[in-house]
Amino acid sequence: MIGESWMTTTFGKLEEWAQKNSFWPLPFGTACCAIEFMSTVSSHYDVARFGYEVVRFSPRQSDVMIVAGTITDKMAPVMKRIYDQMPDPKWVISMGACACSGGFYRAYHVMQGIDEVIPVDVYVPGCPPSPEGLIYGILQLKEKIRRDRQKRRKGANADRAAADGSIAAA
Amino acid sequence: MTRAPHPAAPRPYRYTLAERLYLPLLAGMMVTLKHFVQNLLGRRKSYTIDYPEGRRRYSHRYRGHHILTQRPDGSLRCVACFLCATACPAECIHIEAAEHPDVNIEKYPVVYDIDMLRCVFCGYCVDACPEEAIIMSNNHDMAYFSREQSIVTKEELTRPYTYDPSRLGYRPEYPEEQARKLAAGVVDLVGEARSHPAQSSAS
Amino acid sequence: MPTVPPPTAPLPLLDRLPAGSVVPEEGCDQETWIVHREVLADLALALRDDAENRFDLLLDLCGVDYPERDERFEAVYHLCSLPLDRRLRLKVPVPEDDPVLPSLIGVWKAANWFEREAWDMFGIRFEGHPNLRRLLTHEAFEGHPLRKDYDPARRWILPQEKVYKPLPVPEGETDEDIFERMTINIGPSHPAMHGTFRVVATLDGERIVASEVEIGYLHRCFEKMSETHTWQQVIPYTDRLNYCSSFINNVAYCRAVEGLLGIEAPPRAVWARTILSEFSRIMDHCVCNGSTLVDAGALTNFWYLFQPREEIYGLLEACSGARLTVSYCRIGGLAADLPPDFVARSRVLLDSIPEFIDDVDRLVLKNRIWLDRSVGVAAISGEEAVNWGWTGPCLRASGVASDVRRDHPYDLYDTVDFEVPVLHGGDVFDRFRVRMAEIRQSLSIIRQLLDRGMPEGPYIVSDPHVALPPKDAAYNQMEAMIYHFKLIMDGIQVPPGEIYSMVEGANGELGFYVISDGSGKPYRIKVRPPCFPIFSTFSRLINGGTVSDAVVSLGGLNVIAGELER
Repeated sequence: MIGESWMTTTFGKLEEWAQKNSFWPLPFGTACCAIEFMSTVSSHYDVARFGYEVVRFSPRQSDVMIVAGTITDKMAPVMKRIYDQMPDPKWVISMGACACSGGFYRAYHVMQGIDEVIPVDVYVPGCPPSPEGLIYGILQLKEKIRRDRQKRRKGANADRAAADGSIAAA
Repeated sequence: MTRAPHPAAPRPYRYTLAERLYLPLLAGMMVTLKHFVQNLLGRRKSYTIDYPEGRRRYSHRYRGHHILTQRPDGSLRCVACFLCATACPAECIHIEAAEHPDVNIEKYPVVYDIDMLRCVFCGYCVDACPEEAIIMSNNHDMAYFSREQSIVTKEELTRPYTYDPSRLGYRPEYPEEQARKLAAGVVDLVGEARSHPAQSSAS
Repeated sequence: MPTVPPPTAPLPLLDRLPAGSVVPEEGCDQETWIVHREVLADLALALRDDAENRFDLLLDLCGVDYPERDERFEAVYHLCSLPLDRRLRLKVPVPEDDPVLPSLIGVWKAANWFEREAWDMFGIRFEGHPNLRRLLTHEAFEGHPLRKDYDPARRWILPQEKVYKPLPVPEGETDEDIFERMTINIGPSHPAMHGTFRVVATLDGERIVASEVEIGYLHRCFEKMSETHTWQQVIPYTDRLNYCSSFINNVAYCRAVEGLLGIEAPPRAVWARTILSEFSRIMDHCVCNGSTLVDAGALTNFWYLFQPREEIYGLLEACSGARLTVSYCRIGGLAADLPPDFVARSRVLLDSIPEFIDDVDRLVLKNRIWLDRSVGVAAISGEEAVNWGWTGPCLRASGVASDVRRDHPYDLYDTVDFEVPVLHGGDVFDRFRVRMAEIRQSLSIIRQLLDRGMPEGPYIVSDPHVALPPKDAAYNQMEAMIYHFKLIMDGIQVPPGEIYSMVEGANGELGFYVISDGSGKPYRIKVRPPCFPIFSTFSRLINGGTVSDAVVSLGGLNVIAGELER
């Protein structure tokens, strides 16, 4: 981010536009939420209208991991491994009550939220969240990427301004 | 009742001559071609709902975000009886009660938190409430960026999280209320069901 | 000499066993014998083979923990004789200091996974079982979770190093040959594994020569959760068992508890339950067939078959408020009255669903590509399937006409005309065709019930000890308010007893074995998942086939992880 010029900022905007408008989700679906995810990619709700229909089951080829369903302690090492195999930049959407917090399974084999092992960007509540809810969550992720990028740009310029006393506009 | 003995060996399907020659594939391709042409020429109504610009109609019983109702004077109807917290299978409702100056009302909740990430939206809290103090809205679209943000407090629950305040979700409906709605012709239920089954789920 | 003979046919086999080792129990909902463990193996063989008994189907085996008793555990076997249409329950007490039973895997192959589960959950060891390892919980788990002294929230972490890495070897081979073959891991995060199943397969080229199936990746402890919640609060948990047709699970559970209470739901509720169960069955078959076709590469059918699901969701949402996990049944009836447009909406569905099913039929049913992929794949004969514990559409595709709706009719099934489709191929193609035929039969059942007309009357029993009083009464009358309060706080007080109640789920016989000790919470609920014994056969089905055959055969079995692993 040092030495920002109009070219790098424009490329940065292009990169951000491409990233947030075509997530390649990795549906890590285990339970009932996976069925609602299937409904979301079906013709009734059609997440392809946003550009997210390329579901890739291989972590090497995806950006967003949508964890849909309960993650048990037996599944946790598998999920961590899949998350580690994803290349940067990557995001995680935790879909449904079980993935977010364990839901109503306060039990001996259920992880009380996937944020015990991986960082989560967006939590979508519901049991299961309706497809509108999931699309809302994905759009919030899109918004988050835009905001994070702006924050990073503003942050870098603010550092530079503080360092050499000059005013730099992003 | 005795049954025939169980078959000891499977007898698989035998192909007909037409199937062997791949002929029925043409019939299959005609199906997809017909759908394609109909969609292209706009003859068939598309099933897709253009969320977020458009929405389908949700039923009157939709179990969405919770709403704490208010009395005419603006105070919460809730009397902190803890029935909803007991009925909840996920134990996601946290209430702290305090004494209310009015002797008829007795108690009110100082803290009323719902952990939205634990909630399974089963509606048991609405069923359990003796005061109609908690109902559910028709909106299920929520997303949070952190676990702390998801614990919804009393103040946020009082503002109805709904996209259409005139149509709420899951709440106690006496049989008289439904009959009254039908009699007043408020909604043409049968007509809606026939017009487009996928789009309307009004009730 | 033996004790009192059981009420049905006389059984001379009891003469061959030592006196007092088999004692019939009185006052149960079905024929129950208490058996000493020394004679269990002989008794099982005789029950299966004797001409008067012919108990060829082991429905369920579970453990129950009675910590106050001397013989702490009890293994409960539910048997069914398909030819003679009889049911039997065997209870075998097991002491805590020596919890060993003979394995019945030689008698019924279905016992394989059931015994592993009993070991996992209770610690009952089965001698003679070839692979007695934990089934549902993970490798680093310690303790036996369904024992009464196990804290429900006590978790154990599974580190990466302890993950089980098997090396399946074909029978009769030594390890020297292994270096020419490759062992791969299919799943648990795999698009064709429908969620969370793991198959470790040893391949010779593309052919699978040996395989091992690992499950437990979605074990959500339903049975333990049901012991810590009230009877009414278990209903949302039952929704999430077979989540593709959740209403049927609600009905099965509520019928079991109503059986224990000795009450019956009113006619309006029974009518609605039958219709909505058939709609749920249609939904489940749509998902199963859609996923099978997707796994074979036919994506268009998946979209076509999902649209009927969406339309049925509209009806379920109008009734209950949620699309997938409906929680619409309550003990004694329904949660709320049917919406005023229920009949109109159902008729509209009856007209619109056949169009999608016909399209898929035209695309696929005579399509040689699909026939080549599915005819003869994962074929199993009726006799072997019954020994493995199969029920439902998969068994009907192997030539055995068994359907709970026909053999033990419940709700309104004995008053409608419907056929039970039976085919003889036992392979993926016939399972597919049986499900398509069942969708059409379900539509016919619904049409007949709608033509009969909606019964008037209440939608739930009016017993205030079982059902919440109506809201206008609860708001205005003191007595109703007190009943309401007691029901929420203490729960329904179900009298002590036990019952095994079954319905025809979309996959087969969904049974609930419920034990009550008289309090507001269940003592033990065991779900008999229809896909559990079916999936235990998976290894035998795919050995010898290719990997692509394995993928297609998994789809055809309709294994739903929520139900498989509870």
